[in-house]
Amino acid sequence: MPSFPRILLGLFCLLVAILLLAPTLVVIPMSFNENKSLAFPPVGFSWQWYENFFSNPDWTTSFVNSLIVATIVAVLATVLGTLAAFGVTRAAARTGGLLRALLITPMVVPGVVLAIGIYAVYLDAHLVGTVTGFVLAHTMLAIPFVLIAVQASLEVFDRRLETAAASLGAGRLTVFRTVTLPLILPGLLSGALFAFITSFDEVIVALFITSPYLKTLPVQIYASITRDADPTVAAVGTLLFLATSLIIIAGLLIGMRRGRT
Amino acid sequence: MKKFARAFALTMTCALALPASAQDKPVAGAVKEGSLKGKTLTFVSYGGIYQDGQVAALKDFVEKSGVTLLNDGPTETAKIKAQVDSGNVTWDVVDTSDLPPYVHCGTLFQKLDFSKLDISKIPEGQVGECSVPAMNYGVVLMYKNDTYKDNPPKNWIDFFDTEKFPGTRAIDGSGDPTGGLIEQAFKAAGGDPKAMTPDDIEKGIQKLRDLGPDTIYWKTGAESQQLAESGEADMIMMWTGRAMAASKNGAAYTPVWQDWLVVMDQLTIPVGVKDPDAAHALINAYLGAEAQAIMTETTSYTPINSDAKPKVDDATAAFLTSTPERNAQGYQQNIAFWVKNFDLAAEKWNALLSGN
Amino acid sequence: MTATHDDGTTARARGEGPGTPGFLSRLMPRGAVWLAAPAVLVLVAVLAYPLAIVVWRSVSDPALGVDNYVWFFRSAVNRTVLLRTFTVSAWVTLACLVCAYPYAYAMTIVGRNLRLVLILCVLVPFWLSGVVRTLAWVILLQDSGVINSILRGIGLPPVKLIRTLPGVVIGMTQVLLPFMILPIYAVMKGIDNRLLQAARSLGAKPWKAFLQIYVPLSLPGVYAGAIIVFILSLGFYITPALLGGPRSILLSSLVQNQVLSLLNWGRGGAMGVVLLVATFLLLAIAAPLMRQKHSAARREA
Repeated sequence: MPSFPRILLGLFCLLVAILLLAPTLVVIPMSFNENKSLAFPPVGFSWQWYENFFSNPDWTTSFVNSLIVATIVAVLATVLGTLAAFGVTRAAARTGGLLRALLITPMVVPGVVLAIGIYAVYLDAHLVGTVTGFVLAHTMLAIPFVLIAVQASLEVFDRRLETAAASLGAGRLTVFRTVTLPLILPGLLSGALFAFITSFDEVIVALFITSPYLKTLPVQIYASITRDADPTVAAVGTLLFLATSLIIIAGLLIGMRRGRT
Repeated sequence: MKKFARAFALTMTCALALPASAQDKPVAGAVKEGSLKGKTLTFVSYGGIYQDGQVAALKDFVEKSGVTLLNDGPTETAKIKAQVDSGNVTWDVVDTSDLPPYVHCGTLFQKLDFSKLDISKIPEGQVGECSVPAMNYGVVLMYKNDTYKDNPPKNWIDFFDTEKFPGTRAIDGSGDPTGGLIEQAFKAAGGDPKAMTPDDIEKGIQKLRDLGPDTIYWKTGAESQQLAESGEADMIMMWTGRAMAASKNGAAYTPVWQDWLVVMDQLTIPVGVKDPDAAHALINAYLGAEAQAIMTETTSYTPINSDAKPKVDDATAAFLTSTPERNAQGYQQNIAFWVKNFDLAAEKWNALLSGN
Repeated sequence: MTATHDDGTTARARGEGPGTPGFLSRLMPRGAVWLAAPAVLVLVAVLAYPLAIVVWRSVSDPALGVDNYVWFFRSAVNRTVLLRTFTVSAWVTLACLVCAYPYAYAMTIVGRNLRLVLILCVLVPFWLSGVVRTLAWVILLQDSGVINSILRGIGLPPVKLIRTLPGVVIGMTQVLLPFMILPIYAVMKGIDNRLLQAARSLGAKPWKAFLQIYVPLSLPGVYAGAIIVFILSLGFYITPALLGGPRSILLSSLVQNQVLSLLNWGRGGAMGVVLLVATFLLLAIAAPLMRQKHSAARREA
């Protein structure tokens, strides 16, 4: 029989789990509201906000923009971040540590400070509201995630495998393709996913460098909350919640299977 | 055969003459088929029910001209300034509050080319050098039924009387100062708005400050609507269209019409837009009778084309500001005074909003 | 995704091993460091240069000098907001810690399936867009929101939550909680539970053993989580902007307002620099504690 402290701990954790997950669920009933209002409780039942999300060009284009930007960022940040991870791991310890600290700074710089700086630079460089501008800023923000993920798999990986392959006559490229890449692939893939999500969800910098010609989904959501009081945001929130949960469940299941074999 | 030839010639002349005359003299609401194909215009306004209504009014223009219409907002004069200063003007047609087009005419907003606009149906005295009206509407005081029951506030003086009418106030803090409100505050402080001097602006602002730390300054129309629908404030200064939308969604508030503040939103074109001709074409289409009727039906805001014949439901009609009764109750701010003292007022207003 | 978090800590816990930089650098010719050049280039272009511009404008706009900083520290409102930003960050950090520590501990002692559920509960909010989660809090906290509907339903008077400081703290705590749980869990996972058994078999009371042996070993994770949450709170923007009112405004919103609404780059920049300096000062103070993390993990490994 579990002891009293254990029961207490169990109850407390249940409460924390509810705090973590439950508040967000409130967007689900709101997304079926019949009224154009975010006041609780919702009235009636209607799919109109989902229809609006898929038919209103403001929403569809911002969604597509986010997908485009996030995909480019995922590719770019994964390449740059992986190269950097090799650099950091294989440089002298001191240099590597410094380099790593430097490359991780985007994670700690307050978003608004970064945003006004980037906004100032982009105004001069005419990068406001351009895909290039978004991709550059988001790549910078995503590199640390890739770096950490890839470095983690590099550190556990035994370089003697590479040396062995090379001593058996394999070319540098062959070594990379047949030995290194498969070993770091899990880290690389999760790095790419981190990069994608970082860009897809990024809002603070985006709010400053957005223009009517290029809005991303989080900008559209923020604008809609502050401007329109329109339940379409709740519908978008519901869809994002479902997508995120599915990706994470899939990730956990894959991770579990990998752990088993 | 001869007869036919003559009829044919006549038809040809008419057919040729029509577009020519249309080119000479624009007709409000007229759109040339496919004239803006492949072009993109950004229309900026205040979002929500108002912008929805404006977009609905422009639907015909978009379909006929083939233009791609983007929406942005809410309007902020500072953002226009940032765009003009940096040479990145992405806002083509901007809906602003009353004063900015007069204050920044020629610097932020370009002088309009009236050979491209038909302003013949706009009510007298509403066209400026840099702007045409976007609609007429009002700012009303909405009070919460539960809070005041039998003894409701009757005008803005009551709004400023926190002893007789305790409760939270919510005020338009969306950007530029509302001259009419400061005049009413000055009146509540014992002054005479008609004889207001620049020094009196501070007295009016002080009256607002005296409302206390609980006062909510809403940043967007959506927020004011949210405040009413969730019952967060006891008296809310609201745009009539948002007040209507909140009421339709079940907000238990009542409008006070005595001294409702008359507001005329303006349509402007910032300096340095890529295609001024296309921007003018949009405004001209917006001014059409049909477009204005649609705008009113969706928003309750008063059309600025005298030929517009909107059909409105009762809920919308209750918030129309164009009836004779409402005309008698409205309060018109001293536009000349506020245009002249705009910078001073804006400075003091921003200090109030940032809590200084 | 969890695999990454796991890998990160196990790698760190391993300490000196065949894969560490020290060993590698001996094998690999120098020059590998240049592989990081493209990433550094991006960093210089969109991080270092923009921040330099912010610093420069803070001392040059409208005139050369420290006027903007004098203005910042003279204004009572700014001082209040600065103090409030730190107070809110402290409360959020504390609230996160109280929720996260038992939760992370439970994650280490439950069975595999339950652990997966607990991890899921952390990761879904961790990866879900912050704007969406804040929207949920707007709906929950408003006066006619879920919480007040429930209060009214059971006959209690409604409480004012939205546009108040407690509302902001509640929302921020929930949004930032995963950032506290994950590092604590990462460290706790590496602690050998047999240590506790050993202590108990030597006659220590369970509570005493926990406090004297387990808690000190878990501290590096606590420090890491606390510093992450505190730093993120200092610069938090979206959640306080949407949940707060004028009386609960935080520094980030003031910066945004100065730059976007008032076009005052100098003052906005000065505020930003204050925020930036505060952040890096905190990191510098916390650095020794973070280093302890490695040594503790190593000691245990």
